Amino acid sequence: MAKKKEILYRRVFVWSWALRIFHWTFALSCAVLILTGIYIHYPPITTKWAEFKPQYLMGTLRYYHFTAAYFFMAALAVRLYLLFFGNRYERFTDFLPINRRNLRSFWRSLKFYLYLTDEHEWRMGHTVLAGTIYFLLFLAAVVMSITGLYLLYPDISWISKMGVALFGSAQMARFIHYILHWCFIFFVIVHLYIAIWNDFKAPEAIISGAFSGSKFMPADVKED
Amino acid sequence: MSRIPFLRMEGLSRRDFLKICTIATATMGLPVEMVDKVAAAVKSPERPPVIWLHFMECTGCTESLLRSSHPPLARLILELISLEYHETLMSGAGKQAEEALKKALEKYKGKFICVVEGGISTKDGGIYCKIGGRTALEIVKEVASEAAAVIAIGTCAAFGGVQAAHPNPTGAVGVGQVLDRPVINIPGCPPNPYNFLSTVLYILTFKHPPELDELSRPKFAYGRRIHDHCERRPHFDEGRFVEAFGDPAHQKGYCLYKVGCKGPVTYSNCSVVRFCDVGAWPVGVGHPCIGCTEPNFWDRMTPFYEHLPKIYIPAGGGIRAEAEKVGKVAVGGAAAVVAAHAAAGVIKKAVKSFGRKGNQESEE
Ligand code: HEM
Ligand code: SF4
Ligand code: SF4
Repeated sequence: MAKKKEILYRRVFVWSWALRIFHWTFALSCAVLILTGIYIHYPPITTKWAEFKPQYLMGTLRYYHFTAAYFFMAALAVRLYLLFFGNRYERFTDFLPINRRNLRSFWRSLKFYLYLTDEHEWRMGHTVLAGTIYFLLFLAAVVMSITGLYLLYPDISWISKMGVALFGSAQMARFIHYILHWCFIFFVIVHLYIAIWNDFKAPEAIISGAFSGSKFMPADVKED
Repeated sequence: MSRIPFLRMEGLSRRDFLKICTIATATMGLPVEMVDKVAAAVKSPERPPVIWLHFMECTGCTESLLRSSHPPLARLILELISLEYHETLMSGAGKQAEEALKKALEKYKGKFICVVEGGISTKDGGIYCKIGGRTALEIVKEVASEAAAVIAIGTCAAFGGVQAAHPNPTGAVGVGQVLDRPVINIPGCPPNPYNFLSTVLYILTFKHPPELDELSRPKFAYGRRIHDHCERRPHFDEGRFVEAFGDPAHQKGYCLYKVGCKGPVTYSNCSVVRFCDVGAWPVGVGHPCIGCTEPNFWDRMTPFYEHLPKIYIPAGGGIRAEAEKVGKVAVGGAAAVVAAHAAAGVIKKAVKSFGRKGNQESEE
């Protein structure tokens, strides 16, 4: 083996406590929502069991779905607020491909993920590729919340007015709610994989960073 | 033609009369003290003239209203209103009928209730539905412009109905979409006659239309979901479902969710008012609700025995795939891609370290 090059890393603080609370609330509520949602969509045969021992299964799982939904919506509201009023790295201006600096960074991280380059894209905040996907997920989460509220509160006049105006009928809202639920499953798989993969590739410590709020950057790398 | 002579039936018993008034009052969500007021409105000699138009439809709404096996309700409706024009019921035809419509329009200008049954064709100027050489579009616009109130009876008149189903070759739409005045929708395929009766009674009793929801349906009849008033609901919450028609769960009366019941997304009072004076309603007798009171139900509520619609999306190379299946494939694909990506990383590393070894050897 060739000589090991020594690299100095500095610890940088990027994620505020609000963002970290958002992250874990969102993650846990998503997990509950996906699992209970799958049951609501297709309750597997529990009929025999339910006859033997009354357990209020659908009622209970729906209750968990709705409870998790409130955490989900609260977390989402926090994140939407931080998009505009969070710290530098939490604002949408830092990670959406809306200027040349971000666009270039977008391509660089894409190349990195496709193994076309070995150069890790060092960013204090999200890489632009990740940020764009997160932003799309927030939009999907908003649609999930609106369709979910419409299904949950059919008797509240302003909600049903909004539901009819946006989706035409409750059935359409339910269909959209169901289709978008695949996006969340898709996201969870890819997000977990990439977080772990990145942890192998670059010693940023992003996983523990989601708890502590800090990452590690090579001392000589400057974000452009 | 002040009323349709052969349908004028004497001898509606007082018992039937009070029973129907009570049901109608309850349907409107009014307390029992109001029965007298409603009955008085029914008995009042002043009967509102009604012009009943038929367009693109099957006439099922009229049929279910008349339901000759249980005539008292139809009799009451026909006693209550003065039907000036109704193509299915009147004896006149052709020119005679045209004249009758014209006369009625002149005589009751601004005072009659216009009831429309059937969708309106709008494509190519509406030429796909013509009566006496005039398009449905022209007729309904003319008649409705003179009416005191417009009621769209049935899902066809309310939302376009079966002829508005994809690909909607005639451009059929509901009446409300071609008129620039408020329309009261009484959807259903067919609608419960009590909902029609109660709406008319409401207008007669209170001199103004009932409160409507965002789809212009009277809230007293369409304000609640089937699912929230269903006798099978405890089975839903308990997780006891019919898996197939005729299975033991079906025989025990469990919830029809998994065989496609649209109760959770359908607004109507079927489970409460029920049909045909025999206390029956679809879910009660073991058939899932098909969502007949909702817009686009032929497109969105089908397949009737699955709880979500099938929407086909073009999936490359001219293949059409169900959106739901695409979702499943995409998730499976994500897992596969993740695995492939990880494998590619391992291979790349192996290749590189192999290359490095080679270099080192040649350096030595
Ligand atoms: C990541 C987020 C979410 C996922 C993955 C998810 C998933 C699902 C799924 C798969 C269903 C079954 C759909 C069907 O087949 O009919 C469902 C139903 C439902 N969800 Fe969600 N959901 C999410 C968020 C929400 C939110 C934020 C609400 C807001 C209140 C909500 C409320 C509902 C309601 C009311 C139903 C219908 C339950 C019923 O018909 O009994 N969901 N959800
Ligand atoms: S039968 Fe239909 S309306 Fe009744 S509880 Fe089951 S899903 Fe709901
Ligand atoms: S139960 Fe459903 S399908 Fe049947 S009449 Fe009522 S709304 Fe229509």
